Amino acid sequence: MHTESLKRQRRNITIAAICVVVGLLFALPQLGLSVYFMHTLIGVFIWIIVANSLRLLGLSGQGSIGHAAFMAIGAYTSAILAKFLGWSPWITMPIGVLVTVVVGFLVAVPFTRVRGIYFTMVSLFFGIGVLAVNQVFNKWTGGYSGIISIPRLFAYIKTPYYYFCLALMVICLLIMYRLEHSRIGLTWKAVAQSYSVASSIGINEAWQRILCLGVSCFFAAIAGVAYAHYYVILTQETFSFNTSINVFVYMTVGGAGLFAGPIAGTAVLLIIPELLRDLREYVPFIYAAILLIVLFLMPQGLAGLPAQLWQLIKRPARAKRMASEKEVGERAP
Amino acid sequence: MNMILTSTVNGLVLSAIYILVALGFGLQLSIMGIFNFAHGAVYMIGAYVTYGLSVALGLNQWVSLLISVILVGASGLLLEKFCFRPFQSKPTHMIVMAIALIMILETAVEVTLGGVTRALPAFVPGIFKAGSISVDNERVLAFAIGAVLLAALTFLIQKTKIGQQMLAVAQDAEGAALQGIDTHRIAATATVIACATAALSGSLMATIFSMNPFMGDNILLKAIQVVILSGIGSIGGVLVGGLIMGFLNAFLPVLINASVGEVITILIVLGILLIRPKGLFGYELF
Repeated sequence: MHTESLKRQRRNITIAAICVVVGLLFALPQLGLSVYFMHTLIGVFIWIIVANSLRLLGLSGQGSIGHAAFMAIGAYTSAILAKFLGWSPWITMPIGVLVTVVVGFLVAVPFTRVRGIYFTMVSLFFGIGVLAVNQVFNKWTGGYSGIISIPRLFAYIKTPYYYFCLALMVICLLIMYRLEHSRIGLTWKAVAQSYSVASSIGINEAWQRILCLGVSCFFAAIAGVAYAHYYVILTQETFSFNTSINVFVYMTVGGAGLFAGPIAGTAVLLIIPELLRDLREYVPFIYAAILLIVLFLMPQGLAGLPAQLWQLIKRPARAKRMASEKEVGERAP
Repeated sequence: MNMILTSTVNGLVLSAIYILVALGFGLQLSIMGIFNFAHGAVYMIGAYVTYGLSVALGLNQWVSLLISVILVGASGLLLEKFCFRPFQSKPTHMIVMAIALIMILETAVEVTLGGVTRALPAFVPGIFKAGSISVDNERVLAFAIGAVLLAALTFLIQKTKIGQQMLAVAQDAEGAALQGIDTHRIAATATVIACATAALSGSLMATIFSMNPFMGDNILLKAIQVVILSGIGSIGGVLVGGLIMGFLNAFLPVLINASVGEVITILIVLGILLIRPKGLFGYELF
């Protein structure tokens, strides 16, 4: 009946809610946010960009567990240029992103040969390979101990970083959202559903997958350079296999099927352990418990929880209706 | 000359362990179609259970090894039923499940015993001498047990009924189920075998090198490399793949720089994945 107006109404509510949340995030430093929590939130903003870029890659059916490698390429390029050549971070950051995108497009070409779980394996070993290369060039990258005292973007206060990363995240998310709902995003989804059908209707399947990896690298690299010049230290552990897996977990736990999924997953999985940090070595148990709860109880992930709850509220009514219909059906013949 | 011999022995020992772990990983992959990233954590738990029984409780070391293998193997039943079966058709969820398992197991060990590196006492202390080479008995033992177990597993899979059923499920689970094979039972058997061999190889490796809560991460990657190199569903392939990986890992750090060796290994694996995803001997999974 009024589905069209209802849909518009729901959309308006969503937009309003997003505006309120973003506005609140922008206002937080003025409302007396502690420096420590600001630090946590900056991390959340950076990892949200990465988790969403991973989801963008997943749109074309490519699941990666080596995505931190692309962050690493951008971060190390920018950090080395800024530290050893003394260039301004504002110049080296775009260079780092550019280098990553070029590398992304280059490696994507052979990567199109494999699909599904094999792509995942290739991405895993690409990630480990980048770390191994990082070891070989330890004169520049510092190997295990890493690079320290990378030039900063701003002085030692956190507030400008907070605004910078928040703005970066909002812009990246907007672009990714538009991209997903554009013609390109639809093409990627078609490729993910069935590459043979997609190529039969004239989609250059291989090129679309290369493009998707390249675009995803672009966002991962943005997060990577932001990371490098905020934390000012990069070590072997920063972009290790564990990091890639963590990003993958953020995305899946949040709900890979929804745009809000990686955002919810990253926020919950980064902030809750931070709030419970008094438990120290027991924190991984909390983390694992969240993962298990989501796995067994929320098939759509954390972001699908509202819809799930709504279903739960509606279900008794529907169940009652169905029961009465069944009763009628049984009586009828 | 001596260096080459030592590296050869090391290569053989590493190969035996890699093959054992990779066989378990590969069994689960081909029968259930899951990438069980928690396999390394099971390997670590096996070593720690042996350690706990023998050092902390003072049991005979061989007895504690046996108990550890049985205990960890039996826990495979629980793993299969509650952790793997619900996620067989969802590879992304399976990865998250494995991460949760790894976190729980590693943290449990870290909380109870601390994250320090420990050593499991040798099963057979002493040094084995043959001509100009001398190897510690542990390595000989690890190789011997590995070889015997491999032969037994190959026999189990090739000659017995349950092994034939495993092969059938690996080829086509639906077809096998139609022939009256209980696929869940086969999956449970495979998981038990995988967990038991992982516990055994973990305990053996803990005597040769050392043990810490994160020892499983590295061996897991090696096992995946072996499985990729050899392809899925070929036992002979895993043997050859394990030997190649073991010798690469024993010789490359000696001949050239260790980090360059790592890059070469990764490049080989990546190349095989990209040029021939089904590995050297196997078939493609999907």
